[in-house]
This record gives sequence, structure tokens and C-alpha cells, in this order.
Amino acid sequence: MTRPPVANLWQGILPALVLIAGFFLLPILYTLGLSLTAEGNSGLTLANYRTFASEATLTDALLRSLILALSVVTIATLLAWPLAWYLAFCVTERRRVLLLFVLVAPFWTSFTIRAFSWQMVLADSGIVGAGLRNLTGADVSLGFLYSLPASIFGLTLFGIMLITLMVYSSMVTIDRRLIEANAVLGGTGWTAFREVVLPLALPGWIIGAALTFIVAVGDYAVPTLLGGGLQPVLAQVMLSVLKGTYDLPMAATLASVLVIVILLCVAPLLLLVRGTRLQS
Amino acid sequence: MTGAITSRALALLFWITAAVIYLPIGVMAVFSFSAARYQILPIPAYTTEWYGRVFTDGQYSAGFLNSVLLAGIVSLAATLIGFACAYSLVNARFPGKTAFTLLVLAPLAVPLLLVGIALRIWTTMLGLQPSLPLAGVGQVLYVLPLAVLNLRNRIAQLPKSHEEAAWALGASRLRAIMDVILPACRASLLATFILCFTFAFDEFVIAYFLTNFSITLPIKIWTTLVTGFDPTINALGTMVFAFSLMLGVTAQWLLMRKDR
Repeated sequence: MTRPPVANLWQGILPALVLIAGFFLLPILYTLGLSLTAEGNSGLTLANYRTFASEATLTDALLRSLILALSVVTIATLLAWPLAWYLAFCVTERRRVLLLFVLVAPFWTSFTIRAFSWQMVLADSGIVGAGLRNLTGADVSLGFLYSLPASIFGLTLFGIMLITLMVYSSMVTIDRRLIEANAVLGGTGWTAFREVVLPLALPGWIIGAALTFIVAVGDYAVPTLLGGGLQPVLAQVMLSVLKGTYDLPMAATLASVLVIVILLCVAPLLLLVRGTRLQS
Repeated sequence: MTGAITSRALALLFWITAAVIYLPIGVMAVFSFSAARYQILPIPAYTTEWYGRVFTDGQYSAGFLNSVLLAGIVSLAATLIGFACAYSLVNARFPGKTAFTLLVLAPLAVPLLLVGIALRIWTTMLGLQPSLPLAGVGQVLYVLPLAVLNLRNRIAQLPKSHEEAAWALGASRLRAIMDVILPACRASLLATFILCFTFAFDEFVIAYFLTNFSITLPIKIWTTLVTGFDPTINALGTMVFAFSLMLGVTAQWLLMRKDR
């Protein structure tokens, strides 16, 4: 073993550290702090949060964001588990690479363009609406675009991709002999899933679900283009405060509410990961 | 271990999901050749006019040039900073290493909108004018986790003996990095650059908050979409999709190839 010319080259992290401190950590801490200030008040105050709680438009927006994100995670989870099972256990290795590519490739392009392309499909004049009218001959109107369900639909597709990918990554590392042992002991496909695969793939699901929740609760491209502006989610309100009224403390408060919501919803999930790690 | 019928059903579920994900992109591509201003079915006539518009409309081409330039510089910076950071994460010991690793990855776990708003508030407080270079620094932060993850995996795979041989022959640490580590990481560095480019090129939120009047392609697309429809967007969207797909395929191919 040769001794390195410089024993410990830790300085390589300095550029990244400066960038993260100056453009991520400090801005977010400052924003959180700013939400506790108000004009004409030198000390710390909860005035902004009181304003938030008393304005129905703001609390409604928060509620919509929560419904949106929780629906997306739930629906995507129900579809992702069977899809991940299929990719991990039902296809050959060569085919698996192709299928993973098919699933992930559309998400390399911008969120905005993907959301916009759904407008053309979901609008009353879009191909689904036109197809329905041709089929039934009646003047039916979908009324689906520009609603909360349309936002849920758009973001769920993203969630399916992400959660499937994460659950699949955990599933492929599972030792096949465990599943065979389960079968030898009289287990069926379902018991193999419940007793072997589910507990071992749970950490992957938790990470996928947490990231999906974070994206869904903070996104505003899909809610703007598919959900419309009449029933805004928190992200849309935040944007209009920042670009419209320039009320920075209020924008900071809305951002802080989002941080709190994410911490409250994601932290229990992450604790669950630690729990499953400790068990195994 | 899964019955044939279950397997068939799962395959069906997979392809239905894929069809739904690809449907709107296909529809957009088809309408990008429609001569009608609005989406009318059946399509009255076919044209490539909208593709021509993308190149003749000054705002689209200016936005495209700005985006390519910005994403190029951002990805180069992120790849270099990411490499230095990844090398130290693999080879050095320092207090708080785990915490620092989590901190590097943290931007992935925070909504981009929050990063954008916090940066806007922070730079306003510092008295910095919104500008394209400022947005660039913000975007480096956004793609840095990808660069560090990719390069850390690659550097950790390299046999330690090659670097040690260079030291034994009297190479300084930096010299050994330049002559041994960097060449061995060529494919990964290129893949990292392309991957960062793909994400920086499409990045909209940080660019939107940290610029006032500059136009990148995603900003131009967004303002066109929210102010009224322009069929040119169909053509542009199809081209951006094809462009991103090409970059993504190249990056993945490079990452898989290096394993041999």
C-alpha cells in the first residue's frame, strides 16, 4: 500500500459546499426566517401565519394541494406494485432493459410540454371528446380538463414511473431463493408477495412515494395547464403572490407552509425506512 | 413462480400504461403536421409550416440559443464541481461526511418551486439583479446531485491500485487524478455532462424566477402556453421531445458501455 502524496484530499468538496450553502441552505433558512417577520414589527411574529389561516382562499389551496398529492401517491402506488413485479420477475434481463427504457424515456422531456400535450387529448374538443361524440352521436362534453382530477391524472403518470422504478430496484435485489423457499413451504404467489417481496421492497416504495409526494405537492405546471386557474393549488397561489404582488414575506410564508407540510408527511415515511432497515 | 395468466395480465397492464403515457406525445406529433390552426379532426391537410416557424420566429431561435448556451455552461460547471466533490467523497475522510452527502443530495428532495422562490427572495435581499448568469448558478445547484451520484459510483468502482502505482512513480495527487482517474472516467464524465444538459435545458422554474426579461426556450414555451395558443408549439414540443430523447439515450448508452 503506497501512501498518498497528500494524505487526505477533502478540499474537493469545497466548491460544492460553497454552492450548496450560498444557493440552497442559506436561501431556504432566510426564507423560513422571513415568514416570521412583518412590516412595522421589529421582532419575530406569527402574523403572516395568522393571515394564512384566516384566508379561505389560502387554506383551500393548501387543502387542494394535499388532496392532489395524496391521491397521486395512492393511485400511482396501486399501479406501480404490479408493474414493478412484472419487470422484476416476469421478463428476461434483455427485455427488462428495453421495458425500463420505454417507461422512463418520456420523462426526460420537460414537464411543461408533457402537461400541454395532455390538454390536446383531454379538452372537450380533444381526441377523447371527439371520439365519444362520434361513438355515441350525442353532444357529450367531458368537462374533465381544468379540474382537480385532471391535475391528479397528469401527475399520477409521473408517479407511476417513479414509484415503479424505485419498487423495482428493491425487488430485483431480492434473493430468488427466498421466494422459492416460500413456494416449497407451500406458499402461493400471493403469500410470496406478502411475506417476502412486500417487506423487502418496502424501502424502495417509501423513497418513491416520498419523492412523488414532494413533486406533486410542489408542482404548478400541471395544475396550471390541466387544473386551470379557478381552483388554484398552493403552488399557483405562491407564484401569483411572488410575480404579482411582490409581497415577499407572504410568499415566504406560503413557501414555509409547503416545507412544513412536506416535513410532516415525509418524515414519518423516512422513519419507516429506518425501522425496516433496523429489522433486517 | 408467477402463473402464465398472471404474467399475461401484468404484461397487458404494462403496455396499457405505456400507451397512456405515450398517447399525448403521439397526438402532439400528429397535430404538428396539421395545416389547421386548431385541433380539428379529421386533419384537413398536412404541412411542415409550423416547423419552419420555429426557425424563423426570432423569439424561439433566441430562446433556443440562450438555452443551449446556458445549459452547456451549467452542465460543464456541474460536471467539474461534481467530479471534485465525488472524488473527495470516495477518497477522503472528514467530519460530517454522511451529513454532507445528504446535503448534496437534498436539492432532489425539495420541490423546485421552493428552491426558485427561496433563491429569488435571497438574491433580492442581497441586491443581486435577476439575470441569466444568476439563473445559471441556480441551475448548477439543481443538477449537481445527478453529477455527484453518477461520478461517485464510477470513481468508487476504479481499482485503487492504478492510482497507487502513479503515486509510487512519484506523481503528485493532482497529477495522478489528471493522468489516471480522469481518463478512466471519460465515458462517465461525458454521460454526466449530457444528463445534466438534458435537465438544465428543460429547467424552467429557477430560470423563470431568477431572470426578468431573458428568454430561454422553456420560458418562451411557458409564456406562449399561458397567453394563448400557437400551433408552432406542437412542432417545437415534438422537436424538444426528440432532442431530449436523443440526449437521454446517448447518456444511458455511455453509462452502460463503461461497465465493460
